[in-house]
Amino acid sequence: MRIAWRGAEFRLLLPILLLVPFGFLVTNIALAGTFETGDLTLALGYVALFVGAHLLLVAFGHRGDQLILPAVGAMGGVGMIMLNRLPQDLAGTSAFGLELGMAATQLLWFGVGIIAMLAIAVGLRDDGILRHYKYSWAAIGIALLAATLLIGYEVNGARLWIDLGPVSVQPGELLKIVLVIFIAGYLAETRTLLTSASVRIGFISIPPLPYFLPMLVLFGAVMLIVVRLNDLGTALLFFGIFLTMLFVATGRRSYVLIGLVLFVAGFYVAYQLFGHVQARVDVWLDPFADPLGAGFQPVRALYALGRGGIFGEGLGQGLVTLGGNLTIPFVHTDFIFTAVAEELGLLGAFALLGFAMVLVFRGLRIAALARDDFGALLAVGLTASLGLQTLIIIGGNTKLIPLTGITLPFVSYGGSSVLASFIMIGLLLAVSHRSGTADRASGS
Amino acid sequence: MTGEILRVLLLILQLGFVALLYLVLMRFAGSLLRDLRSAEEAQISSRSGIGRLSVLESPADEPPAGNTIALGPINSIGRNVNNTIFVEDDFVSATHAMLTFRGRSWFVEDQGSTNGTYVNGHRIDRPVALSFGDELTIGRVRMRLDR
Repeated sequence: MRIAWRGAEFRLLLPILLLVPFGFLVTNIALAGTFETGDLTLALGYVALFVGAHLLLVAFGHRGDQLILPAVGAMGGVGMIMLNRLPQDLAGTSAFGLELGMAATQLLWFGVGIIAMLAIAVGLRDDGILRHYKYSWAAIGIALLAATLLIGYEVNGARLWIDLGPVSVQPGELLKIVLVIFIAGYLAETRTLLTSASVRIGFISIPPLPYFLPMLVLFGAVMLIVVRLNDLGTALLFFGIFLTMLFVATGRRSYVLIGLVLFVAGFYVAYQLFGHVQARVDVWLDPFADPLGAGFQPVRALYALGRGGIFGEGLGQGLVTLGGNLTIPFVHTDFIFTAVAEELGLLGAFALLGFAMVLVFRGLRIAALARDDFGALLAVGLTASLGLQTLIIIGGNTKLIPLTGITLPFVSYGGSSVLASFIMIGLLLAVSHRSGTADRASGS
Repeated sequence: MTGEILRVLLLILQLGFVALLYLVLMRFAGSLLRDLRSAEEAQISSRSGIGRLSVLESPADEPPAGNTIALGPINSIGRNVNNTIFVEDDFVSATHAMLTFRGRSWFVEDQGSTNGTYVNGHRIDRPVALSFGDELTIGRVRMRLDR
């Protein structure tokens, strides 16, 4: 173990760590209406977490990518500023004799997530445990899903939560990671078979089914259960991840084409069968048809985006509550992007997208530099997951695609989501460390 | 009056915040650009081939463990010095195995060796496709196919 300075990471973290207390300060002044700095404890706690993470990576001589942690810090920082600004009684914990508001709880989860990330990034020097036990991972995933189906409870028409005493968890968030590990392991092993052998029928080459079957069966089972749980956002996300990884592994456009056709067909069937899906699509097509009922959330979100304009209403000056009620229900989870766009405007929203782009870019770079197929596919899958999640929820917020309730990584409030996203970053860092070329190239 | 001052102050602070946000983004862009440029240079200086073998374990020390061997499209492996990859080990046959790059992937085929060729611990009896990261065992020599 040798200390490895991470200069690029340090230089990028510095202004971000200034940004968060500054954002808290502006919010506090705007909310209080006086020239007081207010309480900056949470902002300083956030800064301490990332400085700590950086120093530990240096101390352990980690040679992984240096832009990922700052990008996460920037996204999370914007998220923390927004969560601190919203009413603190929206969510929170009262575990361990502590009464924590929403932002404090989120900070706690960031702490847990960063510890998990560091443990994986530093501890996972050999990916054998991921690669060789892929069927065990798949079994864990199925078990998680089955548990949700049996003992889970519903929030907003989707059964996603399991109650574990002091905390409730969303197994779907962890299932995402397990699924990516399984697919990466499976494709890394059978990739050459999938590309070399195929049966041609007319113009279309059909994939060799025997090699595909185990993966298709498992993936089909997962999709069925997810749809059964009414969790459409997750279903869309899983499908996107699967297609991306399949395309990267085989380089065949025909697979993507078949996948897209299947998706359209599946969506049509779901639309015909489930009222839940129909309602979502109808609201998406015309939210103003029922602005006080089904269309309430999207209509309010559109108004908020309009109020924000290009420069935004200003931190702490948006219209978050009206007569004691939230103007947009679930603004702290599903609609956090709208809150950012209202208070920081198009400029702030673009900056947030920029940070997400940096994250995706670096994730794909880690994949390209990975030493072996498994590492490359794992990195692609994790990056696709983070990127698609961002795309799906922001698309839903802005009425580009039908709204489905998933979280914006590192920005939305939610313990399971934050923890899962940090685990994914930990895995990316571990893959990047093993290719060992990142710090040479990261402009140090 | 204080209300006016407060409003102006907040406007300035808000602009400062957005400016800082973009400063961070610019720094990211700078880092990314530097990175791309150095990656380009690295690529020009060493045109990477189609693959290489990393020697993980080699009791007789030829090839030495820890070495990497650059691969051409066709490689013969064996104890005879005329092989492209010469392996000095008592458990290796004169012409032990062939490692070839066909189309887009690597294949390995046993050449009727006495002790067999193993891929990830399984003995092969016909040409087998290799993925990057797979382990190839020939005699007591363990090697890994890398990019």
